[in-house]
Amino acid sequence: MSHPSPVDAGRPAPELAVRGTEPGAVTIGELAAGGCVLLLFVSEECPTSAMALRRLGSLCRDWEAAGLASAAVFEDPLEVAVRVARRLGWTGRVVSQEPPYQTSRAYGLVSVPTAVLVDRAGTIAGTVTGWDQPSLQALVASAGTLLGAPLTAPPAAQPLQKPGCSSKAALDQELAAAMSAPAGTDDIEEMFERGWTDGLPVVPPTPERVEAMLGGADGSESLGPVPPALGEATLARVAACAVLAGCRPAYFPVVVAAARAALDPAFNLRGQAVTTQPAGQLVVVNGPVREAIGLNSGIGALGPGFRANLTIGRALRLLVTLTGQGVPGKLDRATLGHMGKVGFCLAEDEEASPWPPLHAERGFRPDQSVVTVIGSDAPLSVSEHRSRTPEDLAHVLGWAAASAWSTNWWPLAEPQVFVICPEHAEMFRAAGWTKQRLRRFMFESVRKPAAELRRGETTPFVHAADPAALVPKWASPDAIVLVVAGGEAGRFSAVLGPCSGMGYEIVSREVVPVGR
Amino acid sequence: MAADYVSPIDERVAEPEPLAPAPASLRGSRAVLLDIRKNRGAEFLDRVETLLRAEGVATARVTKEIFSKPAALSVIHDIAARGGLVVEALAD
Repeated sequence: MSHPSPVDAGRPAPELAVRGTEPGAVTIGELAAGGCVLLLFVSEECPTSAMALRRLGSLCRDWEAAGLASAAVFEDPLEVAVRVARRLGWTGRVVSQEPPYQTSRAYGLVSVPTAVLVDRAGTIAGTVTGWDQPSLQALVASAGTLLGAPLTAPPAAQPLQKPGCSSKAALDQELAAAMSAPAGTDDIEEMFERGWTDGLPVVPPTPERVEAMLGGADGSESLGPVPPALGEATLARVAACAVLAGCRPAYFPVVVAAARAALDPAFNLRGQAVTTQPAGQLVVVNGPVREAIGLNSGIGALGPGFRANLTIGRALRLLVTLTGQGVPGKLDRATLGHMGKVGFCLAEDEEASPWPPLHAERGFRPDQSVVTVIGSDAPLSVSEHRSRTPEDLAHVLGWAAASAWSTNWWPLAEPQVFVICPEHAEMFRAAGWTKQRLRRFMFESVRKPAAELRRGETTPFVHAADPAALVPKWASPDAIVLVVAGGEAGRFSAVLGPCSGMGYEIVSREVVPVGR
Repeated sequence: MAADYVSPIDERVAEPEPLAPAPASLRGSRAVLLDIRKNRGAEFLDRVETLLRAEGVATARVTKEIFSKPAALSVIHDIAARGGLVVEALAD
C-alpha cells in the first residue's frame, strides 16, 4: 500500500475534516486568522506524540498571544484527545478525527507526530516529521519570521530526535479498525471528563449496569423535577446515579425512596441545594431493609467502611449534583460545604434503642422499611463518660448544641438531629426516660438570657425579648430529633448541625420494591 | 469508539438560561424591588431605591414569603404587572 509523502511547503494546506470541543466546523482559515497555525498531528498510543505534546504544550499560550495558533490533531476520539491533551499539559486547541482519518490522508501523513506550519494565506510553510528538536526550532523560528515577532523555541532537551509511530491513516484498513475499536479509553477518566462525578471516581453507568439497577422497572417513569435546575428524575437517571455512586442493585429501592422523599416540595431541596450554608441531606433508614442490604447502624455508623451507607447517601447527592445540576461552585453556592454532602446515610440501631424508632414516631409501623431525609450539617461529637444521672447526660448533650448554626442564633426553628450512642441510650433506658422527656429536658435546660445573645448575629426573637428573658435554643422540643446508632462501647454521641432558614419539613417515604 | 452510557443529566436543563439584555437607559422606566426576606435586604433595597429614583425611575416594593423558596406565582404576576425591571435584594 503506498501513500503520498507529507504535503510539501509552498502547497495549499488541505482543509480539515475534524471535530473540536466547540460546536461548529474547525477550519484552517479560522485557525490561521491571527497570523499562522501549527498543526501537530498526534495519536494517543504514540509515545513520541506524547513527548511532543508535553514539550510543546506549555508554549502554545505564548505562541497564541504572538499570533501563532496551535492545534493538536488527534487520530483518536475527541474525549480521548481531550483527556490526553489535558494530562500532558497541551494548552493549544484540541481537534479529533475519526476513521478513516481523512485529514491525515489529505496531508499525506506517514507518521505521528508531524508538525505542519500553515501561514495566513493557507499555504504550508514547513513540515517536521517525528520529534526533531532542531527542525522544530527552525519551524517555530520561521513562524516568528512570518509574524515579525520572536517565538519561544521548544527546549533542547534529550532526546533531541526521536522517530514517531505510524499514522493510523497509513495503516491498512483492517489493522486500523482493530486498533481503533476500544481506542484505549479509560472509562473512569471519561466520567471525570463528562463531569459525572462528585470529585471521586465513579462506576461508569453502562446500559447493562443501569438495567441491572432498574431490575425491570420502567426507566422512563419520572419521580419529578430535581432542584435546583429541575432536571427530570427519570428512574433511569436515578439508576445511573446509583450506579455512579457504587450502589448494588439491592440498594436501589432505598435510593428511590430517598429521592422521592427529597423531591417532595415540603423538603425544599431547592433551597438546600443552592444555599451558602454547608448543609447536605441526611438519609436515615429504618426497618427491616437495614439488615436486608447490610446497612450499618453499629460501630462507625457515621463513618467509613460500609458500602450501603456510603453509596446510598452518595447516590442521592449525585442526583442533586448531576440531574439537578447542583454543582458545587456553580448552582451549589455552599461557602464551605461538608463531607456529608458527598453522601450522608445513617441507619438507626433500633435494637439498641430504648425508644420507638424514628419512622414509628413519624407514623409508620415498626415493621415497615422507611427512609427519612433531614437537612443536616456535619456532626459534632459529644464525649460524655462521667455522667451518673440522665439529667447530667441530657444537660451535656443539649448544651453541646448551644453553638449550632451560630453561637447567638437562638431559638432554632429547624430540626436538629442528635445521634445517641447505645451506652448513652442505655442510661436513659435504665432511668425510664422517654424520648419526649429527654427532648423536654433539653428544651427546658438549654436557655440563655436574651442579653447574653445580643452580640453579633442573632435572631429577631432575641432582639424583641426582654433582656432578662430566658431564650431556648430551640423553638420547640419537637425540633430535637433523636436517633440511636453507634458502637456498643464508647460514650460518644453526636449533634448534627441544622439546615437553617429553609422553612422545610422532614419527609419520610416507605421503601417499596422497584422493578423485579 | 467511546462507550455508551446512560446519562444522569437532563440535557434540557444543562445550559443555564441567558440573562435578558440590560436596558440602555433607566430614565423613565419602572422598577420593582423584590425583598426576598434575607437579613437586612430591605436596607439594601432602600439604598437602591433612592439611587433609582434619582435616575428618574418609578419604583415599587414587593416581598416574597421566604428567601429560600421560589416566589409564589401571585408575587411573580404582581411583579409583571407593576414594572419593567426587577431588582432582587440578596443581603446578609
